[in-house]
Amino acid sequence: MSQTADEKARSETPEHDREIGHDEFDPIGTLTLIGIYFLILVFLWFFMYFVEFLGNDPTVVGGTLVFAATGERLR
Amino acid sequence: MTNTYIESFPAEAKVVRAAFYSSFLALAIGGLFGIVQTLHRTGYYRFMDSADYYTVLTAHGVLLAITFTIFFLVGVFTWAVTTSLDRPVEDIRFTWVWYGLMVVGTVLTAIPIFAGFTDSEMSASVLFTFYAPLQGHPLFYFGLVLFVVGTWLAGADWFRSWWAWKQEHPDERIPLPTFMVLTTTLMWYIATLGVAAAILLFLLPWSLGLVESVNPLLTRTLFWFFGHPVVYFWLMPAYMMWYIMLPKISGGKLFSDPLARVVFVLFLILSVPTGIHHQYLDPGIAEGFKFIAMTNTMFLLLPSLLTAFTVVASMEHGARQRGGTGYLGWLKALPWRDPVFAGMALAGLMFAAAGFSGMINAGMNINYLVHNTFWVVGHFHLTVGTAVALTFMAVTYWFLPQVTGKELWSRSVALGQVVLWFVGMTFMSNAMHRGGLLGIPRRTAEPQYEGFEFEAAVGSVGELDAQIALGGALLTLSLVLFFANVIGTALNSRSDDLPANEYADTLSGPSDAPLVLDNLKLWTAIAIVLVIFAYSFPLLSIIERGGLFGPELTELPVSIGPGLEYLSTTTVSTVTTAGETAIAIIAGVGS
Amino acid sequence: MRISKGALLVVIAFTAPLIVELRTVLAWVNVELTVLESAVLGIGLIGVLLVWALWPQSQNNATESAETE
Ligand code: HEM
Ligand SMILES: [Cu+2]
Repeated sequence: MSQTADEKARSETPEHDREIGHDEFDPIGTLTLIGIYFLILVFLWFFMYFVEFLGNDPTVVGGTLVFAATGERLR
Repeated sequence: MTNTYIESFPAEAKVVRAAFYSSFLALAIGGLFGIVQTLHRTGYYRFMDSADYYTVLTAHGVLLAITFTIFFLVGVFTWAVTTSLDRPVEDIRFTWVWYGLMVVGTVLTAIPIFAGFTDSEMSASVLFTFYAPLQGHPLFYFGLVLFVVGTWLAGADWFRSWWAWKQEHPDERIPLPTFMVLTTTLMWYIATLGVAAAILLFLLPWSLGLVESVNPLLTRTLFWFFGHPVVYFWLMPAYMMWYIMLPKISGGKLFSDPLARVVFVLFLILSVPTGIHHQYLDPGIAEGFKFIAMTNTMFLLLPSLLTAFTVVASMEHGARQRGGTGYLGWLKALPWRDPVFAGMALAGLMFAAAGFSGMINAGMNINYLVHNTFWVVGHFHLTVGTAVALTFMAVTYWFLPQVTGKELWSRSVALGQVVLWFVGMTFMSNAMHRGGLLGIPRRTAEPQYEGFEFEAAVGSVGELDAQIALGGALLTLSLVLFFANVIGTALNSRSDDLPANEYADTLSGPSDAPLVLDNLKLWTAIAIVLVIFAYSFPLLSIIERGGLFGPELTELPVSIGPGLEYLSTTTVSTVTTAGETAIAIIAGVGS
Repeated sequence: MRISKGALLVVIAFTAPLIVELRTVLAWVNVELTVLESAVLGIGLIGVLLVWALWPQSQNNATESAETE
């Protein structure tokens, strides 16, 4: 049962109707799906910007940067 | 002859089966407490005293996040090692010993937790994170130690199999499933050093009365040293199933063996030096250290994205071999009717959603918005509560016939069960996230306050509560269906017509993977160096400030005496201004 | 049947997050749905899905079982 690539190449599931090897396989559908996921993530980050940052003072990291630049602590 | 696991490895099948049943028992009891909490918090049905809420919550957290997950893991890993090396364990008595140790550990831990419901002195309502100032009965810590030692021995068992196999196959690559087991085990060894230190050096002696006090920040930091990587200990067996079972069940092959190895190596080296991201709000740890932890955390996105790509591409390969076409049309060609497939695919989808809330948690500044709110509970019910738990339940439908030799009781019920979990979790988790954004706290028996109302942006808090209760009810129903299937299968008679014990082939095999990937010593060394970088300075500065055994600290047995107010004031003040204030308050209130 | 029963069940399950999130999203463009309204919307959506899935495809119903699962 230790499976080397060619040893088991033929043991396929019954519904199987064609064999696609490494070189013919073009995962375009995967790219599409992950692309959609990525767009959703970008949208949500953008959305979060409105929820969290607009109208608020800079927090932690922003504060550290301000401190590094001006020597002044916020708050 | 069908070549199931139980036929090839009858003795091992018994251990694996025992581990699975132990994990299901924990799931059943833990799940029961889940719905009790849900109904209590939302105010729909409160039959117990709110003071007992923490006992329930401790049992829910420990039984599900520790017992259920890890027992299932040791079952799967034992299966993976024996199957992929094609050899029985070296000594089955040793295998039973570590399993037995884990059982004894669990029972000893459970006794003081459950004693919390009685009038006895004994209790351990310390939640599954069990750090100071909460203090439990010594038996609780002792049981945990035995449990963890059991897992260490289990790891030794898997390594032993691999060493023996290597003698006979000196020039072969480590088979992928075994590779996954070994890297995960190494990560676990490094990670558990944190809890081992926290328990053996501090919490257990403190609970036994051998030392007067502990440094709470130190025990918290040691806990999270372990608390983050334990997340990957839950996740790695689920990932393993996505990599080596899902492609086969989709009718295809794993897209890339080398990529899978890279992912597990990255988890080995990056899981541990990130724990401080759970402590963004802890005073006493400098922002710079938190920033380093955040950076490491963001690097962890890499193996997760690689996994998303590899796993989806493998599914697509299966779908196309089954005749699927188009940019998205191939999705229709996937075997949605198969509960093993549907469950894992839905679990993966929810994990993608959890990826977003996880990024919010991981950002130091945005974390302030959601820290310790119900949002976090929503997040981890998507990760451990679904990506892991639903994957485990789905593969159970494949494993049960393998380890019992009996046919699954009902595939339709199984499909209904996994879909129901998805729908239930959608309702529950969505409302938890939204509640958290409003500031509704987690770990709270009665999240309603006089003279104050949480304001919902959309709808009302009442509607959110209803949504959570509805989701919890659906989840409970889903659990009932799951157990019906497990029991029904156990009662079936032996069948000769079962699928063989196999896992997925690869499109690009191990021969394409650089040899260095299999150099476990190298990766372990790098992991240890990174841990030293990330942790030595924070730990030193915590000890320097607070002392090894802390400023004097008054422990809190959670058997709530003088009232909840006392509890919250002391907790807040111990954490913030430490010693004196707490003592003053207790002297005032307690006597 | 256009898709297998299993796939239909899963597609119906997907309406749950859609409906649940739709309510929040719509609120940002000032469309406030009540719970009842979104429940009705959800049931409507499921109805449409069922009709789409179960509507006999004009010809060759006979191949139905061959192309599913
Ligand atoms: C029937 C299904 C479930 C329901 C109804 C449920 C419900 C809940 C609720 C309402 C809480 C939050 C309580 C609070 O913060 O006040 C909670 C916490 C938790 N749940 Fe679940 N849950 C379920 C399944 C699971 C599963 C399957 C897991 C993991 C495998 C899990 C792991 C946890 C953990 C780790 C906590 C945190 C405990 C703590 O804060 O100490 N739950 N659960
Ligand atoms: Cu973490």
